[in-house]
Amino acid sequence: MRLRTWSFCLSEANQNLLRNPVLAIASITTTAVSLLVLGMFLLLTANVNQITSNIENQVAVRAFFKQSTKTAQEQSALAEVRKWPKVRSAKIITRQEALRQLKSEFGDQASVLNSLGTANPLEDSLSVTAKSPADVAPLAKSLGNLTGVVKVSYQSQVVTRLFSLINAIRIVGLGIGILLLLGALLVINNAIRLGIVSRRREIAIMRLVGATESLVHWPFILEGLILGLIGSVLAAVIAWWGYAALYTGAAHSLPFVPLVTPIPTARDVAVLIVVLGVLLGAVGFRLSVRRLARV
Amino acid sequence: MISLRNVGKAFPNGVVALRDVDLEISKGEFAFLVGPSGAGKSTLLRLLFREDVPTTGVVSVNGHDVGRMRRRQIPFLRRQIGVVFQDFRLLPQRTVTENIAFALRVVEVHPKEIKRRVAQVLDLVGLPDRAGALPGQLSGGEQQRVALARAMVGRPLVLLADEPTGNLDPVNAAEMMKTLLEINRLGTTVVMATHAAHLVDRARQRVVAMVDGQIRRDELAASYSEGVVE
Ligand SMILES: Nc1ncnc2c1ncn2[C@@H]1O[C@H](COP(=O)(O)OP(=O)(O)O)[C@@H](O)[C@H]1O
Ligand SMILES: [Mg+2]
Repeated sequence: MRLRTWSFCLSEANQNLLRNPVLAIASITTTAVSLLVLGMFLLLTANVNQITSNIENQVAVRAFFKQSTKTAQEQSALAEVRKWPKVRSAKIITRQEALRQLKSEFGDQASVLNSLGTANPLEDSLSVTAKSPADVAPLAKSLGNLTGVVKVSYQSQVVTRLFSLINAIRIVGLGIGILLLLGALLVINNAIRLGIVSRRREIAIMRLVGATESLVHWPFILEGLILGLIGSVLAAVIAWWGYAALYTGAAHSLPFVPLVTPIPTARDVAVLIVVLGVLLGAVGFRLSVRRLARV
Repeated sequence: MISLRNVGKAFPNGVVALRDVDLEISKGEFAFLVGPSGAGKSTLLRLLFREDVPTTGVVSVNGHDVGRMRRRQIPFLRRQIGVVFQDFRLLPQRTVTENIAFALRVVEVHPKEIKRRVAQVLDLVGLPDRAGALPGQLSGGEQQRVALARAMVGRPLVLLADEPTGNLDPVNAAEMMKTLLEINRLGTTVVMATHAAHLVDRARQRVVAMVDGQIRRDELAASYSEGVVE
């Protein structure tokens, strides 16, 4: 199509929007809200992922060796464990290191350990981290079967609770986001349909005088795209700025909870929101094609 | 220019609007399509610009098999055919000029050319001084002239008019008839469905009379009713 024909289609689309301002505003609002919820869910997931991966790195399974275990035997156990697919990392903590760690954890009260004198009641151990929280329990079981291992310990409850909490957040967030998205789609679709009905005379005349079907369609495609675009740009701006503000605030008040940085994460979410909004408009139009054919 | 061979049209509800219609209309001809209400005149015209498809037979316009043509080709057929209806079908929010220009804008004619042709066609239908008016500010006769201008602005080979004087008073109807004959004189093939016996009788043109979806009579320089001699 020629440029002036595009501008014709655009002005027809604008007239539709101005003729039904209530539905236009409703479309833009529902699009913005649904995409904002989806964006917030994505940002939350990104942060939860980051926090859990920090925790996962810290949650180690400890397998303690019998006091009499030889160093060579411990080394061969380490070599074997490192070959297991579920293992992210593994290392040996000798009883001397363990005592040193214990003393540093007691800090000021390290003197209570002085009563031990030169005796060290601790054992050598294997410290193993899993690739995913789900791998922790089976890994602990396998470690218990190694020769020389007398005891295995890990913070099982923390890990499993965290795991199910994350899943719940993911499912609920995604569910709400998708429901709202469907709602937005419905409203956009209705706005386009109303536009088709109120322009049916014009459409009939366009067809009568030999306009191509694509020319008949474009004003409504543009209408959908404009609605989706305005709604999603609103959502994207709020999501990006809102998250950047939250990030700055959190950096001051909660420095020990490291949130993901606004760039690239919030920026990418904003871009995704706009892409989804445009897609929403396109699908909203696509659903009314049959109505358009019956005008 | 126009040819129908063994054309039948039955609607899904069982009504048979046309049966076994054979009709030839040559380039540059003027033909009245007459007959009582429900005879099938509108249906026949609708087949010509592919508003509907025949159930049987072949409809052809300017060499195109209209009933079987691809959907994508329909717009190009319609650019060769102008149509006016009893109810004008103008866009109420647009001025006379905009209504006429609309037909050219949507087929991507250059704005300069649109301006030129709109002026020409307003002249042809005798409305140059109402260019800026809205349809609501015009009389029925004037509105039908705008509709005629819109049909003619694309320079169609064929003009189809379905009861174009049906909503007009006798004076405006006679004026409209004069303009249609003038358009035909300038070379456009015209097919006009009508009830208006006096207009048909005065025009002395070809008359195709239909009853119950069939052609009963097809005479040159004829009158509305059979056997009337002036
Ligand atoms: N879309 C339709 N569905 C069913 N019947 C129709 C339809 N259009 C027209 N008809 C019927 O076909 C017959 C011819 O109609 P029409 O061509 O409009 O007659 P005319 O224009 O001569 O008055 C009538 O009986 C009418 O009721
Ligand atoms: Mg009729």
